[in-house]
Amino acid sequence: MDLSLLSDPVFLLQNLVDGLSRGALYAVYAMGLTLIFGVLDIINLAHAATFMWCAITGWVVMAVFGLPLAGGLLIAMLAGACLCLLLEYVAFRPLRREGADRLSAMISSIGMSLILVSIAEAVFGVETRRFPNSVLSPKPFHLGGVRVSPAQILIMAASVVLMGAMGYFIRRTPMGKAIRAIAADQKAARLLGIHVEAVIAITFITAGALAGAAGILVGLLTNNIVPDMGGQIQLRGLAVVILGGMGNMEGAVLGGLILGVIETFTIAYLPGGSDVKDAVVFLILFLILFVRPNGIMGRRSGERA
Amino acid sequence: MSGPSPLRRFLPWAVIVPIMALDLFIVVRNPGDLDRLLINMILALSAFVTLHAKLLSLANAGFMAIGAYASAIIAVKLGMPIAVSIPLAVLICGAVALVIGLPVLKLKDVYLAICTLGFGEMVRVLIILTPDLTGGPTGANLSTGFPYEAMKQTKTWMLVAVLLLLAYLFWAIARSRIGRAFRALRENPQAASTMGIDIVAYRRMAFLMSAMIAGAAGAFYAHSVGSLDNSDFKFNRALDILSYAVLGGSGRWFGSILGGGFLTALPILLREVLGNSVGFLKNFAQLPNIINGLALLLVVIFLPGGLASVFGVRSGRKRTESAAGPGLLSPDKPAVAAVTGEPLLALEDISRHFGGLDALSKVGFEIREGMILGLIGPNGAGKTTLINLISGLFPPSSGRIVWQGEAIQHRPAHRVAKAGIARTYQNIQLFRDMTVLENVIVGRHTHIRTHLLTTLLQSPRERREERHARAEAMALLERLGLDGLAEEHAGNLSYGDQRRVEIARALAMHPRLLLLDEPAAGMNEIETGRLGEFILDLKQHGYTLLIVEHHMDLIMKICDEIVVLNFGKKIAQGTPALVSRDEQVLEAYLGRD
Repeated sequence: MDLSLLSDPVFLLQNLVDGLSRGALYAVYAMGLTLIFGVLDIINLAHAATFMWCAITGWVVMAVFGLPLAGGLLIAMLAGACLCLLLEYVAFRPLRREGADRLSAMISSIGMSLILVSIAEAVFGVETRRFPNSVLSPKPFHLGGVRVSPAQILIMAASVVLMGAMGYFIRRTPMGKAIRAIAADQKAARLLGIHVEAVIAITFITAGALAGAAGILVGLLTNNIVPDMGGQIQLRGLAVVILGGMGNMEGAVLGGLILGVIETFTIAYLPGGSDVKDAVVFLILFLILFVRPNGIMGRRSGERA
Repeated sequence: MSGPSPLRRFLPWAVIVPIMALDLFIVVRNPGDLDRLLINMILALSAFVTLHAKLLSLANAGFMAIGAYASAIIAVKLGMPIAVSIPLAVLICGAVALVIGLPVLKLKDVYLAICTLGFGEMVRVLIILTPDLTGGPTGANLSTGFPYEAMKQTKTWMLVAVLLLLAYLFWAIARSRIGRAFRALRENPQAASTMGIDIVAYRRMAFLMSAMIAGAAGAFYAHSVGSLDNSDFKFNRALDILSYAVLGGSGRWFGSILGGGFLTALPILLREVLGNSVGFLKNFAQLPNIINGLALLLVVIFLPGGLASVFGVRSGRKRTESAAGPGLLSPDKPAVAAVTGEPLLALEDISRHFGGLDALSKVGFEIREGMILGLIGPNGAGKTTLINLISGLFPPSSGRIVWQGEAIQHRPAHRVAKAGIARTYQNIQLFRDMTVLENVIVGRHTHIRTHLLTTLLQSPRERREERHARAEAMALLERLGLDGLAEEHAGNLSYGDQRRVEIARALAMHPRLLLLDEPAAGMNEIETGRLGEFILDLKQHGYTLLIVEHHMDLIMKICDEIVVLNFGKKIAQGTPALVSRDEQVLEAYLGRD
């Protein structure tokens, strides 16, 4: 460890900014994942593939058709919503109807993920795409020695808006109330006259839109859009969801920020950082699973047989 | 129960023949593909083992990588022959599986899948981080530091031998007590544990076997391909392996061999054979992934049992004669005669809370040898909770459960069962996809004295024990009037018959104490009367029983003593005559106008 770096407050602040913006991305991504888990008790392993398709869609409309960023973001979120709804109809709803177990739902989502990634590779090839500079200036601002890129500012702003919107949606609107009711007890919700299938569809649409936003934001931050970009975020998303407690929205936000900061600090302060950071992510994942499987703010405990 | 229709009989061949023909075609065209085909079949078996035990493990690619690198390093850097390096690699995988299995197998389904997914990636990261040993991120050191010729020395016949060996292993286990225990726990882990099956041990065994098989496949892969790269073991590899086993079906092992064979050969056929005329296919690098993805999706939705399900269900060996001996088995007597007068089971101040709810508070009573104790109370009084506590499904929040002088409140269910406590369930918990006879034989689990070695050697004792267990089970079914249904699927039986199968299954354990949770639920008066006589007959044979029932006539007629619960508290205890006059009972339970 480079000790001289520890005493450098600017370096510390810089990493905090980088870490938080990275963490905000994880949070946006993981909110969708944890939302579906909360409602259906299943892990959607095709969420990363959805995220990747949104990033590519965003790239197409911005780089090829020249749409501005706001348009790209909107279309990517729309694409995510459609794709997630497709997942629900193809991979999840038929299984629910048959009363299949949770493992089957995971397996079918794995199948969809393989198909989606393969199609993207076949259509777009495996080479890296970048957003044109006209979308967002890459020129960073300097605030007292700390470098902040416009992408980072946008990410943090967009994340805060999305988190606020999600919080309002889930806590304050009738639809959010219906979602929470189904998450708590599907059978009871059905008996109370809630149109369960419709609410589940809305849940998937919401999760997909979040994946879409995350796709664009990651694309802006890393400027590295490839069909296998989902693999990087897949495990991180799962780690965040578990860290925050499966199905817990606030937990996902907090978990995302924590993971983002830890990962950035690992790269900055540990030798061989960027190779080690994956290992650190896994260590966190294992630690949480073994020590506190309900997450740092986990409220769902019904994991006993 | 007539034989299968001609179509059913033809169906398995309609699956086997085309797949085998396809595999044969691929191999004849290019013998070099044989190694890959065999390795993938072995990998399919490794995924089958965990799926069969209801574990969605995605660690196979990780274990394959460990096996591959371990064997390659031992063979090349230490100069060992592969006859040494491959077994060593397999052992290393086993050791790793044992260590990580301890925490990992405690996790529930979704968490287990995520954790094993992380494990697979972790192995890859470790490979990347140890370039001196493994060649690092690019695997380049393998080509420079690893002489290809030294590594590439597999003989295909070895792979064939391993596959045959595994096939024998799976065949032998499937027909043994171990295989039956696996089928039971995959269908209903809770019921399996109260039949004396140690679920954790069986899951650990499955995880260990899966890891070692994947390690063997990896080791052969290393020596067959001759070079290694960490990207050979990416997450996609785990998904490939999973898709073989899912297509094959998690019920019967040979499905996985077919699944692996089909999913390996199909892309080769499409790309390299048909690709010559359809150029689009030839350059379609993602084809195998798409096929695997479709297989996962379609099989889970349309053919949940996988290819193996077209083979129909395991019907067991036909024509099981019943034992000519006693129609009703008697409970196992302890080697040393029980001290008379001592209670068989004593509950001391048992409490159990669920969250803020007190399901039971400070309940205490005794069950003496040879008695029938009735446990009654309104719905939600805590009767089933009490039975669950006694059978070890969960521990009490406080208090002691004393069985023949020993505190057992913290013993897991399978050890409680082994100690001689059997039960039935209020909501029937049969192994629905197993035959009635098999259900009852599962009850013999702790009594059949065979183990892995006798199974693998197919020793005469194994056959004898199996025959004996079947005969005993048959005798029990006869006694309960169920012998005509022995080969039926338990799930197809009527409600009342299912209840009786549960009783037969519990009796097969020769328990010293039998807990019956609402045995007469759903029965009419005549059936209830017959059940009452049967229970009294059990008492005559020396059984001790605890019965939860709502049929008051039955309870009053057969019980020696009655305990009344209300809102988790014991409100009365005594003879039927006494309890039925008790003011509190009349008020709380029977209702008062």
